Amino acid sequence: MDDKLVVGIADMKMARQNGMLITYALGSCIGICLYDPLIQLASLVHIMLPLNMETGRKSPLKYADTGICETLRRMEQQGAARSRIVAKIAGGARMFETAGGGNLGNIGQRNIESTHMVLKREGIRLLREDVGGTVARTLLFDASSGQACVRSYGKPELIF
Amino acid sequence: MKNYEDLNGLELDTIREIGSIGTGNAATALSSMLGCEVRIEMPEVRIMGYNEAINWIGGPEIITAGVLVHMSGELNGIMLSVQQMEFVNLVLERMVGHTVENYEQLNDLDRSALVEVGNIMISTFINALSGLAEITTRLTVPAFAVDMQGAILTVPMAEFGGQSDYIMTIGTNFICNGKAVPCRLLLSPDIRSLNFLLKKLGVLDG
Repeated sequence: MDDKLVVGIADMKMARQNGMLITYALGSCIGICLYDPLIQLASLVHIMLPLNMETGRKSPLKYADTGICETLRRMEQQGAARSRIVAKIAGGARMFETAGGGNLGNIGQRNIESTHMVLKREGIRLLREDVGGTVARTLLFDASSGQACVRSYGKPELIF
Repeated sequence: MKNYEDLNGLELDTIREIGSIGTGNAATALSSMLGCEVRIEMPEVRIMGYNEAINWIGGPEIITAGVLVHMSGELNGIMLSVQQMEFVNLVLERMVGHTVENYEQLNDLDRSALVEVGNIMISTFINALSGLAEITTRLTVPAFAVDMQGAILTVPMAEFGGQSDYIMTIGTNFICNGKAVPCRLLLSPDIRSLNFLLKKLGVLDG
C-alpha cells in the first residue's frame, strides 16, 4: 500500500522500471496509462474534463487534451519515444442517471471521446480500455510490466 | 464575478447562515420522517481543492449511497446527500423495519426509502433558501447511486470544473437520538449563482 504512488484528480505521476501508480475512484473522470516498454517508463494521468477552454491554462492536467499532451511532453523529456508509447485507459462512467439534469450532458462519454481523439491525433496506440458504464473504478498501473488493473465496487478485478 | 476562493469573511458568514437555516429545516423534516430527535452540528462552509475535498469526506474508496439533485432557475448547482452505512440503517430501521449489513442487500423498497429521505431533506433545504433570498429554484427528480464516495463527489466537481479548481460545499452532520450519524448534505452552487445569491442577500462586496 505505502509503496504506491498516488495520482490525485487533475494530477500526473511517473514511475520508471518499478513502482506502482494508483488513482482512486474514477467516476466520469478518466485515468490514462501511458507506457514506453523499452525504457519501462510509465505515467498515469487523471483527467476530469474533455477539453481545455481556460484562458490562463493554469491546470493542464485537468483536461484530456492538454493533460495527454503535457504527459507525453514530460515522458519525452525522460527519454521516451513517441513511436513506442502505448496507452490503456479506464473511467468515463455515468454515476447518476439524471433525467434532463446537468447542462453539460454526459461528461463521462465526452471524456472518452475526447481521450480517443487526442490519442489518435498524437499517434498513440490504444491497447486496452475499460470505459463507460455506471460504476466507479480505481486504476493501478505497474511500471515494471505495463500492466493495468481496475478495481470496482461489486465486480471482480480486471487486469489488462 | 467572485470565484469561491475570493469570498470575504462576511460573505462566508452569510453562506454559513444559509447553511444553518437550510440544514435546520432539513433536520426538522428528517425528524418527522423518522420519528426521532434530530440535532445538527454547526454547518461548515468549505472551499477545497479536489483532492482535499475527497480526503475531507473520508477517503475515495469507501462505498456510500448518494442522492443527487440538480438545481436550476435562479440558482444553478448540485445538491448531494451522502449517506454512509450508519445513516442508511437508521433510516431503514425506522421506515421499513429492517437493517442491512452492506449495500448489496438493499432492495428496491430500501433504495426508494433512501432516495425519498435524501430528496425531502434536499427539497426542504432549498425551499428554506429560496424563501430567504426570494428566488425561485427548480429541482430535478433525484438520482441515486451506491458507489465509491470519491467518484460521487467528483460529479459536482466535474460540473463546475471548467470554472474553478475549487469546490464549495455547505454541509453538516446530523445527530439522531444523541448519536452522530454520518450523513452529509452538500450544496454546491455554481459561481454565477453564488454571486447572484450574495447580491440578493445584500452582502456582495464589489
